[in-house]
Amino acid sequence: MDLSTLVIILMAVPLCACLLMALIPSRAVPRSVFETVHILSIASVCALAVYLVVEVMSSGNSINALGLWFHMDALGSVFVALIGVIGCLTGFYSLAYVRHDADCGNMNSSQIKQYYSFFSLFIFTMLLVALSNNIIMMWAAIEATTLSTAFLVGTYNSKLSLEATWKYVIVCTAGVAFGLYGTVLVYANAADIMPDPTLAAFWTELLPYASQFDGFLIEIAFVFAVIGFGTKAGLFPMHTWLPDAHSEAPSPVSALLSGVLLKCAMLVIIRFYILTIQVDGSFFPQTLMLIVGALSIVVAAFAVYSQDDLKRKLAYSSCENIGVVALCLGFGGPLGVAAALLHCVMHGFTKALMFCISGNILMKYGTRDLKKIKGVLRVAPVTGVLMAIGFIALAGFPPFAMFLSETLTFIAGIVDGYLWLVIIIGLALTVVIAAFVHVITSAVMGDAPKQIKKGDVGPLALVPEIAMVCVILWFGVAIPQPVLNGIESATAIVLQEDTDVLHNAPLFKDLFAATEQAGNQSNADHASTSLEQ
Amino acid sequence: MDGFTLVNALGCLLIVSSLMIVLSQTPKKAACIYAIQSLILVSIFITLGVATSSSELFMWSGTAFITKVVLVPAIILLGLKKMGNPNPKLPSLISPVASMVIVAAEIALCFLAVQSITLPTAAEVKPALAISLAHFFIGLTCIVSQRNILKQVFGYCLMENGSHLTLALLAPTAPELVEIGIGTDAIFAVIIMTIVVVRIYHTVHTLDSNELMELKG
Repeated sequence: MDLSTLVIILMAVPLCACLLMALIPSRAVPRSVFETVHILSIASVCALAVYLVVEVMSSGNSINALGLWFHMDALGSVFVALIGVIGCLTGFYSLAYVRHDADCGNMNSSQIKQYYSFFSLFIFTMLLVALSNNIIMMWAAIEATTLSTAFLVGTYNSKLSLEATWKYVIVCTAGVAFGLYGTVLVYANAADIMPDPTLAAFWTELLPYASQFDGFLIEIAFVFAVIGFGTKAGLFPMHTWLPDAHSEAPSPVSALLSGVLLKCAMLVIIRFYILTIQVDGSFFPQTLMLIVGALSIVVAAFAVYSQDDLKRKLAYSSCENIGVVALCLGFGGPLGVAAALLHCVMHGFTKALMFCISGNILMKYGTRDLKKIKGVLRVAPVTGVLMAIGFIALAGFPPFAMFLSETLTFIAGIVDGYLWLVIIIGLALTVVIAAFVHVITSAVMGDAPKQIKKGDVGPLALVPEIAMVCVILWFGVAIPQPVLNGIESATAIVLQEDTDVLHNAPLFKDLFAATEQAGNQSNADHASTSLEQ
Repeated sequence: MDGFTLVNALGCLLIVSSLMIVLSQTPKKAACIYAIQSLILVSIFITLGVATSSSELFMWSGTAFITKVVLVPAIILLGLKKMGNPNPKLPSLISPVASMVIVAAEIALCFLAVQSITLPTAAEVKPALAISLAHFFIGLTCIVSQRNILKQVFGYCLMENGSHLTLALLAPTAPELVEIGIGTDAIFAVIIMTIVVVRIYHTVHTLDSNELMELKG
């Protein structure tokens, strides 16, 4: 089977699973049937995504499918990998979470069916965003992510969850309409200058004509794209829907929204960023990203500190981290872009872990109020340890993955001459660290409330969380060479440079070569040991 | 009067109808005015199709008629029926005079903004282009200014109409598939938003956005 067909199958699997579950009657069929279809869907997507990403990264070639409609390059692969792996882990965690909600009477059979159906649809729409080569379809896919998650956010059908759903739908559809306007401007300009206007909607086809685009029009289009897709990504000041939707959604959905969906929206901004740099130079797009990135970090940092609701705290932390990604794009250059992509991966896993842990807390304490959550370590020791590790990782401490991407962010800022901004961002991140340390000391430690029954959540919930901790520790201590190579290839696409040229860029070369040499050294040692044996 | 002049003149009618939607008292009236506005949009597509000899625009006018003149108002009216045609007196957050001033300012700014666009296709239709951009921002004003959440849905529809008109003006030969993609997605958006509004009404018994403000901070 060729790779193009596999790309189509990758998207078809969750869509078919969604349709199948939608057709199964919820009352006559036991929950286990929905769980089986769900597990088969997420496991297949994970296996296919990983296989295709490895193929793209190792060969250095991109895959086209259905003519030019779908395109899987190294840049898209980073996000496909996130969707596949985090989608699988949060999907697995959903089993324990939904079972608990069903046992407590929070979800009936119809809501369970709705949950699993829309979960698969959500995965499908995100894959559509990452793999689409048609800019109009890219917009439609982002819009579809909002529509597919609306009922997931409103799963519980309570007043607050419906309020959050409404804010989510209206803010994101209005916001993404800006993205449509930006997309229309790019398309219209491309159709005007390209010899074959029928190819004007395809990103890979319009990019070679970048030098002929109208600079002013593309600047307007980029502003519209940043407002539109930035709304979906949770950038300040369009982030208002995010804390409400993330806090009211079931925890595995919050994990997927924050860990993956926000990054998919950033991917679309990155596609516009590439085009704008090619048309208009780097000053305008980088300055805009620098402003929204820095503002998002500073505003969200104080919001993280002031929140008493665990999930709202984590949601504002997502705004802050998306701000870090935007800031890195604002710094630009090989280091800035690599830091942005690396942070998407590192934060994706860390935040998915933290939202799943917030699910454990909800299962044990029945509340998100941090004033009432005390002594997690005594009540649920494994959850307590994972929660402490998660907050330390999210604060950017070594030896966890986000330390690496945040350090690279600081280096990129200093190298590009933004020491003053790096100091301001450093201070803002200190406020975030203070907020997380406070949660560890007050919620994780301390005496447990007497009415809370001791005992951890089941292994079904803990296994995916432990897997995510292993990933963030692995990536923090010894990031695998294939991951670095993938980030490097994706960076080359963003900068529209040859990988070999990029590989020899100052500092970038040193940073990436250091790990490469370490990897080669380790392989050589391993080979010599084998020979000796 | 040549085709492009007629397009610019019809564009002015679009602005009038948008303002009427923003100022309308009930979602039912807004749905009817939206249907009329969409009919004006369809006639712009046909006029532009004649002026640019673009067969694609005739196809667009057909799909726009089905989706915008018929389906969107029908979905909203069906949603209202499901709720038992509630008719709460929910005044706009902004006074009618202030709304008109804001819309006028938006139009003026958009006229200024389009002057810098140098695309050959935009040369003849700059007034209509400015109107399409202004239409987009009037939609945003509608969302921000309305207390009735069902009327906020029209804000999105106006924004979408603005984008659609811009596409027709700048890329009149765009393939039908592009237009269908945008139109279909917008229909789904209206359906989902209307379902959420109906659910909110059945659970919370209100359409007032001011009563949906518990989540803060």
